[in-house]
Amino acid sequence: MKKLLSVHTSMALWTAAVIAFLFTPIVFLMAMSFNDFKSIFKWTGFSTRWWAHMLDNTSLTGSVRVSLEVALISTALALVLGTFAGLALARRPGRWTTGFIGLILLILVTPEIVDGAGQLSWFVRLGGPFREGLMPIILVHTVFSSAVVTLIVRARVAGLDARLEEAAADLFATPSRAFLQITLPLVMPAVLSGGMLAFTLSLDNVVSTSFVSPAGVTTFPNYVFGLSGGIIRPEVAAMATLFIAATLLAVGVVALVLRRGGQTGTEIAATFTGN
Amino acid sequence: MTRQSDTTRILISKQAAQRLADSISRRRFLALGGGVAAAAALAACGSSGGGGSTSTSPGGTTAPGGAVDKKLNLYTWAEYDDPDLLKAWGDISLTIFDSNEQAVQKLVTGGGSSGFDMVVPTGPYVPQLAKAGLLEEIDKTKIPNFSNLDSRYTNQPWDLGNKYSVCKNWGTTGWFYDSTVVKTEIKTWSDFIKAAQTEASGQTTVLDAPPDLCGIYFWANGIDWTTEKTEDLDACEKFLVNDFASHIKAFNSYPGVDLTSGSFALSQVFIGDARAGLLGVQEAGEDVSRYKWGIGAPMTELWMDNWCVLKGAKNRDAAYDFINFVLEPANSVKDLNYHGYNTGIVGIEDLAGDIDFKDMVFYTSAAQLATMQSGAVNSAQDRIVKIYSNVKAKAGG
Amino acid sequence: MTATIDARPSRRRGWLRAPKFLLAIPSFIWYVFLFVIPVALVVVNSFGRKIANVPGKVDLGSPNFDRYHEVLSGSFKTLLKQTMFTSLLGTVLCLIISLPVAYFLAFKVGPKAKTAVLALLMVPFFANFLLRTLAWRIVLQPSGFVSNFLQSGHWFTFGQALRSSPLQILDTRSAVQIAIVYNYLPLMIFPLWVALDRVELHLREASKDLGANRVRTFLQVTLPLAGPGIVAGLILVFVPLSGDYVTAALLGGAKGNMIGAEVANQYFKAQDAASGSAIAVSLIISILLVLGVLAACFLFGSKLVKRSRSVKVVL
Repeated sequence: MKKLLSVHTSMALWTAAVIAFLFTPIVFLMAMSFNDFKSIFKWTGFSTRWWAHMLDNTSLTGSVRVSLEVALISTALALVLGTFAGLALARRPGRWTTGFIGLILLILVTPEIVDGAGQLSWFVRLGGPFREGLMPIILVHTVFSSAVVTLIVRARVAGLDARLEEAAADLFATPSRAFLQITLPLVMPAVLSGGMLAFTLSLDNVVSTSFVSPAGVTTFPNYVFGLSGGIIRPEVAAMATLFIAATLLAVGVVALVLRRGGQTGTEIAATFTGN
Repeated sequence: MTRQSDTTRILISKQAAQRLADSISRRRFLALGGGVAAAAALAACGSSGGGGSTSTSPGGTTAPGGAVDKKLNLYTWAEYDDPDLLKAWGDISLTIFDSNEQAVQKLVTGGGSSGFDMVVPTGPYVPQLAKAGLLEEIDKTKIPNFSNLDSRYTNQPWDLGNKYSVCKNWGTTGWFYDSTVVKTEIKTWSDFIKAAQTEASGQTTVLDAPPDLCGIYFWANGIDWTTEKTEDLDACEKFLVNDFASHIKAFNSYPGVDLTSGSFALSQVFIGDARAGLLGVQEAGEDVSRYKWGIGAPMTELWMDNWCVLKGAKNRDAAYDFINFVLEPANSVKDLNYHGYNTGIVGIEDLAGDIDFKDMVFYTSAAQLATMQSGAVNSAQDRIVKIYSNVKAKAGG
Repeated sequence: MTATIDARPSRRRGWLRAPKFLLAIPSFIWYVFLFVIPVALVVVNSFGRKIANVPGKVDLGSPNFDRYHEVLSGSFKTLLKQTMFTSLLGTVLCLIISLPVAYFLAFKVGPKAKTAVLALLMVPFFANFLLRTLAWRIVLQPSGFVSNFLQSGHWFTFGQALRSSPLQILDTRSAVQIAIVYNYLPLMIFPLWVALDRVELHLREASKDLGANRVRTFLQVTLPLAGPGIVAGLILVFVPLSGDYVTAALLGGAKGNMIGAEVANQYFKAQDAASGSAIAVSLIISILLVLGVLAACFLFGSKLVKRSRSVKVVL
């Protein structure tokens, strides 16, 4: 049994090392938010002054607001589109499903730089509202995230018993009633985790955003990307830390809700990562 | 566009000079025909309809009389405005670009001026933006402090009569290096190239801007960097791709602070960025003498970045108010001390007093100025960008 | 995993069967409008020509292959090869690093510990992509903590070379390689874990009962069953990674440049959507070529496995 233990231990150690690797830059980033110096790339001493500065920098806070608005709206859109499409895929399989899933997979694997470049050319041709305000950014964010939501919802619905909905129909529920009272609660875990993913994907997006964002509209990551040639102040790290904390809180809450809904931790993790 | 290589100076009153400049510029514009005439027409009647691709909302909103809402959305370079000064004026949101090309791209494809109120392009790019119908003609009656500007920095060849632009500041390009790595002193661009190929090979950065990259070759070889000759451009490309690209570590427009943290040994820099690097070293309490800097020689760039108000700016009057605010000598000094460039205000050198690394800000002797030449956006522009792309691809391959 | 609906007729159930893909129509329109048309436009634009001073638009007057000649004649070809190499290496590294982790998660830990480990693996994934990439600049800084630590006397494992000079990884291809593996690792671990997790325990036990050792069980039972999941993981990592330009732009400097950055460069600096499109299309073709070659190898390999039954690691 000694040998087995060593395989087990070495794998555990390997996993621990991978986790440490994954946390390394994040820990460094968080630490740098308490740097005294004006750049996050050189530590000179401990200070909390940049946490105070953070809210004074209207460019930074403005970009965060844009990011949050874009993420909220695009997540809502992605959820509506993705839930419907996921339901259709799971409950109405047919010859069309192959093509549709193919399209979704294509969206998932096309390098973002290609989408972004095409979307810019397309929006420039369309002009008007497609080159103003948040709309172009929201639109491009929904493409990828609704594809992800679709797959998650489809996986969830496929695992459910279709007879529940049929029973509702047999019991003379109207379609909308059956949807709201039976189907929706059943797919809720998928919608929740899909929403979390869509929200994160939107907040993470840099590439297509940098292509399609109209003059004067900057998201948080794109603001930082713009700064990246020059000096990056610890206030950016402070904001990032705040973001990480908020995301963790949100993930935690969603996980808790899912757990209440009777899912195991493993299932929750699987849905969270889109599997 | 067009560049005037020799200027004639005449002595007349400011107003007269203004009118004269206006009429000259209009005639010049008209003489250039085509798209430029459209720009002149645009300038004359103030409505939209330039030769560009974008539609602009006509007129723009005029703020109600009295106090302006002190809010601005500014599109500018990194580390270019003192945050405290901005706060002293009002609420300003900054978005950063790292090259003129990028700024022009975003503005021209970006649906008019839907978002930004002001942009800060380098002189030669002003006509391109004006031609695309993106710039508001500046109402100088709303900027009384315009008269604080030294006449050497107004009425520039690319914008005669300051129709669309007001000087923000100007500066030059040179090098910045770590003398523990680059032990031979750098005095000319040829020395720069030699150091990049030897001592600092693989540790050298160049500016992430196409004209400046090509400038290294032109300045070192005594070629006018606004050249449009195919053979010059061919030679430049051949040299940079074959003999220079492989030594480059990064294309970075703001390497100053990174250099002093050991990431690079030799950098082509805008001098103010080298100063920012040295200020950082000083702030961290380390040895400043380790790092050397110099203004490009025998020839180098003179660039001037300008406040331009975008057509249809939501906060147009606020923009005027802000320009007027920064042209106030006391404010200008603060701004200068932050970004390290001459703001062109009359007597600014004396006002600046005893600021750190003062020689990095003021280099106004006639002999020094004679070595600096403004860039140009001309028929070579596409080629210059192509050379830059090829150098980039080669450097990574 | 697909459920089939009961086909017995029922009047009230009519709505359940009626329009087959009605609910998917909004998505379909959405994707055509925001994905199919734009990507098609990239392909179309790649045959065009830049219009001077009008960024973002392309002259399609006389379609030709000139842009492709430019892309494939210059230094871009080398850069394209480099990008493919970096991406392949990155994908393989991700696979090698992920496999033990996924295996550990799937077979070696109890449910409680599993939840904890999964949560730990997931947290970094939810931190902002750009910032966690940028943060590598802090970690790898030549004057930073890690560099100083390596140079200090406390560190014995590494040779004198590392100790004598500051860390010089930033702005090199190595930095990009590290960050790429970092960024795409979760995308590999989770599909692998799910794939392995679905391999029924009793199949593996049966294999062991029949006398197969651990390695043989893994290679002949577990791996083939988890195969599709692994392939999915590989594609999900390799393809986006090849088009990534943010990581290269933040950490690669001149040396770690990736072809994606050149696409962006053509749009943003050169104001040349035609050349940018041509590079983008070349990128897609290269990706498809690499995937095609890999698929061929994979098929050939699995045939060999079936035929010989004496297994070596294929993939």
